[in-house]
Amino acid sequence: MEVTHDAGIWVAGILTLAIFSFLYKDNPFYKFAEHLLVGVSAGYYLVQYFFSAAYKKLWVPVVQQGNPILIVGGILGILMFTRLFRKTEWISRYPVAFYIAAWAGYVIPSYIQVRILQQAQATMFNPRGMGLGEIVSASVLMVGVATTLIYFYFSAEHKGPLKTISKVGITFLMIGFGATFGYNVMGRISLLIGRFQFLFTDWLGIVH
Amino acid sequence: MAFYDRMMSIDRRIIFLSVGLAVAIPIIVPLGFPVQVSEETRSFYREMAALKPGDTILLSFDYEGDVMAELNPMAVAVLRHAFSRDIKVVAITTYAGGTGIAERLLTEAAARYGKTYGIDYVFLGYNPDWSGTMLRLGESFKATYPTDQYGKSTYEIPIMQNVETYRDIALVVSISGSALSEYWAIWAGGRYGAKVISGNTAIQAILIYPYYKAGQIPGFLGGLKGAAEYEKLIDEPGMGIRGMDAQSVAHALMLAFIIVGNVGYFFSRRAQARQSK
Amino acid sequence: MKRQGPIILAFTIGMLMLVQFFTPAAFFKQAYNIILDWKQVVLGFTFILGTWSLIRYHYTKISRRRENWQYSYVTLAGLAATVTAALVWKTATGPYPWLFNNVQVPMQSTMFSLLAFFVASASYRAFRARTFHATLLLIAGALVMLGRVPIGAYLSGSVFGVKISLVEISDWVLNVPNAAAKRGIMIGVGLGMTATAIKIVLGIEQTYLGKTD
Repeated sequence: MEVTHDAGIWVAGILTLAIFSFLYKDNPFYKFAEHLLVGVSAGYYLVQYFFSAAYKKLWVPVVQQGNPILIVGGILGILMFTRLFRKTEWISRYPVAFYIAAWAGYVIPSYIQVRILQQAQATMFNPRGMGLGEIVSASVLMVGVATTLIYFYFSAEHKGPLKTISKVGITFLMIGFGATFGYNVMGRISLLIGRFQFLFTDWLGIVH
Repeated sequence: MAFYDRMMSIDRRIIFLSVGLAVAIPIIVPLGFPVQVSEETRSFYREMAALKPGDTILLSFDYEGDVMAELNPMAVAVLRHAFSRDIKVVAITTYAGGTGIAERLLTEAAARYGKTYGIDYVFLGYNPDWSGTMLRLGESFKATYPTDQYGKSTYEIPIMQNVETYRDIALVVSISGSALSEYWAIWAGGRYGAKVISGNTAIQAILIYPYYKAGQIPGFLGGLKGAAEYEKLIDEPGMGIRGMDAQSVAHALMLAFIIVGNVGYFFSRRAQARQSK
Repeated sequence: MKRQGPIILAFTIGMLMLVQFFTPAAFFKQAYNIILDWKQVVLGFTFILGTWSLIRYHYTKISRRRENWQYSYVTLAGLAATVTAALVWKTATGPYPWLFNNVQVPMQSTMFSLLAFFVASASYRAFRARTFHATLLLIAGALVMLGRVPIGAYLSGSVFGVKISLVEISDWVLNVPNAAAKRGIMIGVGLGMTATAIKIVLGIEQTYLGKTD
């Protein structure tokens, strides 16, 4: 066992244990660590946002590269701060409307193309040249997509044939959710593995 | 208390302790379970292996500290694979908290392979508004990132001389802890025809399958297992492979708890049915 | 102009961004690039505003002596220390990256790793095969949990002479029924998001503007 002499890793190790102490119960060490995390993170993010927005995307293009039109972005950004005062709050609607509408404008064609049309196209298949197993799998996939979409169609009451098709759709959804659960577990355990690897390798030197 | 009630009410501290031991012991005492490679990872590897020396990839660190345990092994493996084959890397991050992580991994990988900043790789840093960034890169990399992370003008950085748009990028590699890989496929892939592959957390990877099946993301790595598989393919064992024993044991333990709970539930229901008769 | 102005602006900008997708005309391309650049600056300032809200929240908590008000000093001290470190020692070396690597990142990772314990406890307690669909969910989850880890390679055998591999079954579940369900959800969400975006551009959807005056 070779415990590290790096003060930073000691700090990281102690703070890691402080967070883990929450598993026993909420306590002052955990609260201290949690609040410290919020503060340090906020400070880090503030520096990054300021550097990227105010310096890289505003000061450099406008002042150093001579592109004055970008100052309008800065003005819109500053208008966001009018939210802080009740009398001027309405002014911040302009930058919000600008941002949301710009996003909405390019979402419309992109989502239709990538999330709807291309996905629908990929669902259909030409059985020529495919093996039996591939045809079965492709058919199951096609039935699954169609029945799942029909399940989410709530404009008509689910009765008769629609009810039967919806039930098939729910079956596919349940399999999908089960797979999601399995991957969810995998993801969470992986995060824990990472922390234990840090504790045993970097801090305590038990594992090399 | 009947045995089936005991099966359904194990104290949570016992569960916590069991999970902790199931993860800790295999890390300290490796079991050596072999890693089987999935087709998704092989596809990811094939895309990277098809690159030629001198090609440039755009590597996007779309995560920060919360999920780095799953994604750092992937990012490290991609950098090792790229640098070992003289592939140039233009790196960005779409998370403010990803800058420090990206800097560290890039510096370590560059030192290992003797790569020079500005010539073999560059870190352009963080931009707010990831969707705007993904679209703007399709028009001009230099306008999207007027400077790199360290304040140097991108017009003066050698590697950026030949990188104007996605047309000059052979591959976009998104290492993502959120839906950003999907958005790379939508904005960079759908709008500008860039080829996008991704490394995702397990929670996110399950949502990539429709894109993978449609060819919109031709290869992806799923979770720590995906990282382990890729490390095996490039013959660079790292934190991914080392975590697989613990992953296996923890999964088996969790299933065992779920089965115990359900067996108790089954007997409990049978007892209730008998009582009501 | 308090409400009409932003709606007219939304329509103009939204239509510009929509039309540019379909035309190579230089004016639309120029407008598209400028709007994207402005957008990034606006979001950056919005995040800075978010930080101000955090400071104001904790300041109020301290001044009104709300529960656990003492810890707000820790938050504000952490924030001040990080920003000071960046201003005085810059961001490349020194206390700023030190705080990031030894305070922020380890704690962020550990916070999320706690979920491993809670997901184990919660799934043990709540995951019951009560109905056919719940059983299906459980079986699919079990197949993926075992099939996607190395231990799954050992779980294979023969049934009536037919070789069955848990890894292959898990792969099929992920690539076929799971992909089908996720694709159906994705198409549905895509339709919904597209409809919402159209409503925003046309001014029908106005919730982003906040409460009516």
